[in-house]
Amino acid sequence: MRSVTFLPSYRKVDVARGSTILDAAQRAGLNINVVCGGQGKCGKCVVFVQSGRTEFDKQKYLRFFSEDELSKGACLACETTVQGDLKVFIPESTIIQEQKILVEGRDKGIEFHPSVRKYYVELQPPTLIDPSPDLTRLLWGVQRSGGPVAEKIYVPLEVMREIPNLLRHSDWKVTGTIALVPGGYRLIDLQENDTSKRIFGAAVDLGSTTVVVYLWDLVSGKVVAVASNYNKQISCGEDILARVNFARKNGLTKLQTLAAESINVALTAASNTAGIDREDIYEVVVAGNTVMTHMLLGIDPAYIIAEPYVPVVQRALSVAASRIGIAGNQNCGLFAFPAVSDFIGGDIIADILSCGMSKREEISLLIDIGTNFEVVLGNKEWMFSCAGAAGPALEGGEVLFGMRANPGAIEKITIDPFTLDPLYTTINNIKPRGITGSGLIDLLAELLSACVIDRTGRINTGIENKRIRTGQHCPEFVVAWASETDIGKDIVITENDIKNLIMSKASIHAACVILMKEAGVSRHDISTIFFAGAFGNYLDKKNATIIGLIPEIELDMIRNIGNGAITGANLALINRRERKALDEIAAKIAYIELNAEPSFMDEYTSSTFLPHTDLTLFPMVQQLLDSCRLRKG
Amino acid sequence: MEYDLNFSWTGTIGHVVIGATRADGGTRKTSYTLGGGTSLPYLDNNPSSPSPLVALEICDNPEFWSPIIRRFCGDLIHSTSDWAKTAETVYGADLVRLYLTSTRVRNFSDIVSVGKTIESVLDATALPLIIEGSNEPGIDSDVFQKCGETGQDERFLLGTAEASRYRSIAAAALAYDHSLIAQSPIDVNLAKQLNILLREIGVQQDHIMIDPYTGALGYGLEYSFSAMERIRFSALKGDTDLAMPMICSAIDSLNIKEVREADPALQDEMAMQWEFYTGIAAAVAGAEIICVRHPKTVRMLKNAFADMKNNAGFSGVK
Amino acid sequence: MALKALDIYKLLPKKNCKECGDPTCLTFAMKLASGKADVDLCPYLDDQAKSVLGATTRPPIRLIKLGVGERSFAVGEESVLYRHDKTFYHPPGLLFKVSDTQSAEEITAATIRVRDETLTRVGTDLRFNGIAIENTSGSPAVYAHAVATVEENADLPLVLIAKNTEALNAALIQVGSYQPLIHAATKENFREMCAIAKKHNCPLAVKAHGLDDITSLVKECLAEGVKKLVLDLCPQSLGNYITLSTAIRQLAISRAVPDLGYPVYIDATHPSLQDAAIALGIVKYASVIISPPLSPASSKAALTLRQNIYTDPQKPIQMNPGLYRVGTPGKDAPVLMTVNFSLTFFTLQGYLESSRVPCFLLIVDTEGLSVLTAVAAGKLNETLVRDSIRKFNVENEVSHKTLIIPGYSAPLSGMIEEATGWKVLVGPRDAAEIGEFLHEEWKK
Repeated sequence: MRSVTFLPSYRKVDVARGSTILDAAQRAGLNINVVCGGQGKCGKCVVFVQSGRTEFDKQKYLRFFSEDELSKGACLACETTVQGDLKVFIPESTIIQEQKILVEGRDKGIEFHPSVRKYYVELQPPTLIDPSPDLTRLLWGVQRSGGPVAEKIYVPLEVMREIPNLLRHSDWKVTGTIALVPGGYRLIDLQENDTSKRIFGAAVDLGSTTVVVYLWDLVSGKVVAVASNYNKQISCGEDILARVNFARKNGLTKLQTLAAESINVALTAASNTAGIDREDIYEVVVAGNTVMTHMLLGIDPAYIIAEPYVPVVQRALSVAASRIGIAGNQNCGLFAFPAVSDFIGGDIIADILSCGMSKREEISLLIDIGTNFEVVLGNKEWMFSCAGAAGPALEGGEVLFGMRANPGAIEKITIDPFTLDPLYTTINNIKPRGITGSGLIDLLAELLSACVIDRTGRINTGIENKRIRTGQHCPEFVVAWASETDIGKDIVITENDIKNLIMSKASIHAACVILMKEAGVSRHDISTIFFAGAFGNYLDKKNATIIGLIPEIELDMIRNIGNGAITGANLALINRRERKALDEIAAKIAYIELNAEPSFMDEYTSSTFLPHTDLTLFPMVQQLLDSCRLRKG
Repeated sequence: MEYDLNFSWTGTIGHVVIGATRADGGTRKTSYTLGGGTSLPYLDNNPSSPSPLVALEICDNPEFWSPIIRRFCGDLIHSTSDWAKTAETVYGADLVRLYLTSTRVRNFSDIVSVGKTIESVLDATALPLIIEGSNEPGIDSDVFQKCGETGQDERFLLGTAEASRYRSIAAAALAYDHSLIAQSPIDVNLAKQLNILLREIGVQQDHIMIDPYTGALGYGLEYSFSAMERIRFSALKGDTDLAMPMICSAIDSLNIKEVREADPALQDEMAMQWEFYTGIAAAVAGAEIICVRHPKTVRMLKNAFADMKNNAGFSGVK
Repeated sequence: MALKALDIYKLLPKKNCKECGDPTCLTFAMKLASGKADVDLCPYLDDQAKSVLGATTRPPIRLIKLGVGERSFAVGEESVLYRHDKTFYHPPGLLFKVSDTQSAEEITAATIRVRDETLTRVGTDLRFNGIAIENTSGSPAVYAHAVATVEENADLPLVLIAKNTEALNAALIQVGSYQPLIHAATKENFREMCAIAKKHNCPLAVKAHGLDDITSLVKECLAEGVKKLVLDLCPQSLGNYITLSTAIRQLAISRAVPDLGYPVYIDATHPSLQDAAIALGIVKYASVIISPPLSPASSKAALTLRQNIYTDPQKPIQMNPGLYRVGTPGKDAPVLMTVNFSLTFFTLQGYLESSRVPCFLLIVDTEGLSVLTAVAAGKLNETLVRDSIRKFNVENEVSHKTLIIPGYSAPLSGMIEEATGWKVLVGPRDAAEIGEFLHEEWKK
């Protein structure tokens, strides 16, 4: 064994010689950024080996490092093997940052009414005069303490077996845990003495890249801790498709275990932060996409991704958490969100729940953007949905200096229309390392307003400005000079980057239009656009409209709901009525297969323009650009 | 009773003028005004709306030209000016489209020769001209500048602007008052996008002809036909960014298998029919200039266009 | 105008009873809107809703079948003026016309050409459809003999063109049960013609000038009980034809004049404008086009144009993915990769053949998308290229590992190199330049 010590936290683990630094870090509970799943492709898992012997092919990965970084022992955690005892420094940018998470259920005036509760009862011991059976005595006690009607509570055999001894051993002072499950009320646990203050629930967003957990005190109705962790399945494949293929080759068990483990790591971290015992977690609510949910439950996902794209289950499922390896109380229940189709999964149902569009009379448009995007249009009566591949550009992938929302990422940019000098802010206000999705959207809108690019995204190389130059393959615009950056290189956006971004935004806009056409509504009929997913709070609504990512409506009517999946999971955890509505929402949604939609390519092509080929759909943007140009002359 | 087809069109195809006569300061014997259509092609009932024009395509370096034409034209092709002259006098073309293929030789730099070639063609024929410039971004600016300058006051139609390179040609067209061809790959949206790009750098609608890129019969015409119909349709529906007349040149026609591999005895006829069927379909879809390379296709098309323009006989349609 | 799913949904009971087989009324409405379900599947629709929904589905132009057996064909049932709105469904029949005054050899030769000639394009066999026999002689016996000559040589759909009812009767005794098209009923003779058509239950062409005359003639024939009609507009010029056929199509599909909802017939015979008439017939709504036997060049062009116009413009034609050879490539021949959009394939193949550089063409499955759109949609990616190289055993065919990719896929070059281990050369964006590219770049 070799020991690896991670700085600056001084966490230490022992690993076998030949393990990767990535393995070691994961075992130490450090969440390293591995966008590519540890294949040496993304260059995001940069660490600095301060001492000790390693093996790493510097030449092969030269492109990811500056001179300066190499001299400090920079290497890729996923491609470096541990040969001796090591000291490894992990820069902040390499650690997966906890997302800024939004709206908590309580803020929206949602009544706190969880599905699982504890009741402390002090019972009179039986006598010859009062010889009613133990169970009756217990359930009557629960009812008297405000619990459900005794006759309606079902008691499983395992708990029944505990009752006689436990009652007597505790001197008739016990705490019962009652859960509302699809079949009715259920006594899921019985403990000695008063533990009624110790009941916690977890809401989980099971994403294909990250897992986010909110730990709730189910007595006070407060969030006690939040934790996130990368999804360990990444090691079995970067994207969903790769993982389903992995599952096909007898890998389902491993994927199931990894999904559960990923949740467990976050649960443990959250429990540690909050200083609670994992045994006191009685319910876990999981919102995940269709494939993730299938894998977590150990259901074969193979048929979801091939024509005709049918999931195995669509309704919400309640199971014992222990059966799928989720660590909590031994009787902890797990509730998984329902799905609509291959792409419209529990995460999207959670978005719908959290934005409330399924309760509204007016028509809303919900857009969830990640590597894939999902769009839902509708109101309380009807909903249409569709999904497609946006490509990773809007998340910062496939863009030369694109990056996730980690420290050093440029998230906001404006450009002086005359000097073309940009003004930007980065996450944590440190020197820039790259540009996030929201920064890229700003950049596109600003470059367009400043006439640096034309409406197809081509850079006008005729402009005399040192920021506009021809790079290795194509023209590019310099956003930050090497001297201002943290990476010792000029941060640029190339014409190819811009094309990738336009392709991504075009797919999303085209999908919106397809739904609007199917429903026969125009942009004027849309009351609100809800944004969920990758951008969190930072998306600039105006710039998103300028580039034609979304249909143009009043800017005030565009709302960011951030991580709607976790918000929805929170709601379903703390309010039983919200949870009950889920199956109904899922049943209401009609899914449109974009691949089978002959007009999709047409809508796509007309959207590959800034903002759109049909300028009459973007009157505000048109006016704005005209005035920009007028000012510029 | 007369039936009103009631398409409820609101738009009109804009005008583009090609060629300048002495009265306009040029040296051409005629000048063409294209566009003006208010309905589907041939349904205008407007005797003054023009029949499609037929342009014969020639070039100044025949190395890049189809062997079928090289064989048919013989020595003619070695003199660009003689070739241009026969286009008018022998084959009856309405326009000559000159491809400056000499600029496609690697490392071409003799810009002066471009001017000389164009001058010789201007001297050889009195027909209005379409000049097809370079194909190489590196020399675009100089070549188009020279084309524009040489043809000052002649109102050329300059080719070809694409979404990826339109600035040099637009600059030349603007500076010397020529019109230009805006080509996009078989798609109504892409055609519109390019027109917007050109408008935004100052090229007026009446100086643009749309080239929707015409695939040869059997090799893309199935898409081109609908792309053209959609452009015309959108224009008539009132979309001014598509309301320009169209030019169509199925340049691949002589390279496709059916023509290339035809029995040598039948090859000329195969080439002509291939261009002819394509030309008829394009005209019906809305093209107002049809370009061909086989000299004998010119008259075939002109005869057919004359009869298509003739709406003799009672039809009962308003 | 077709109804939107949501409009249909508003007419449905919104019970989500699932009795139609769909999970919700909304999904059923979507199927109705796209014509994938029948209104009658819903047990709770009232008659009014049914009639509203039903009216939008009945085809405005009748389907008419000519001939019997393998070579029979049906025309009509079109619903749009522009093929990009939907598509054109039933390609026109192209028939060779012979006259009973021609020699038996000539008639036989024309018949055999229609029987045997096949042009195979993009995996489809294209053929002429039948023979039209004109009674020029005026003699019933001669006519019957000519019809018999055709009939002896092939079972083809026929058009019987005769003014003389006796001649028609003589012909129909032999071929009346084979659904020939009888040409033509006019204002003067429609009663007799209708009687003949009814007797043999054959389709009948009605012939008149102008829309009013043709409409009233259709009405007369319908009144006589003949429902299988085809319209001969006898245009005076090509321009006249375009106007008339467009008007008929528009008035029929808009249901403004339902009596014009029949397929259109055109006789393209003309001393100099025959090819123009055929081409116009194909692009402008004709369903039966007759002409004297065409030259080889005209034949190919006409069949190809018909195939083009009756291809759905929204659906790309696909090639089978695989490794194709151009010429006889050796172990050191270049390998070019491109997509399986047929147009891309044929264009590239054409230029490759004329470049005279033997090579391999690796066609990968992008579901028929062109290079540009396949890259945009993520369909063309390094995994697909890698898997295709393996699947089609490219490494066994050549002794090198260099792949030429299309110019528009240049952004993928690095990823393809990494995924495949092959060296990638980015080719030109325009197929026309591939010859020069191979000569200059590959030879290096």
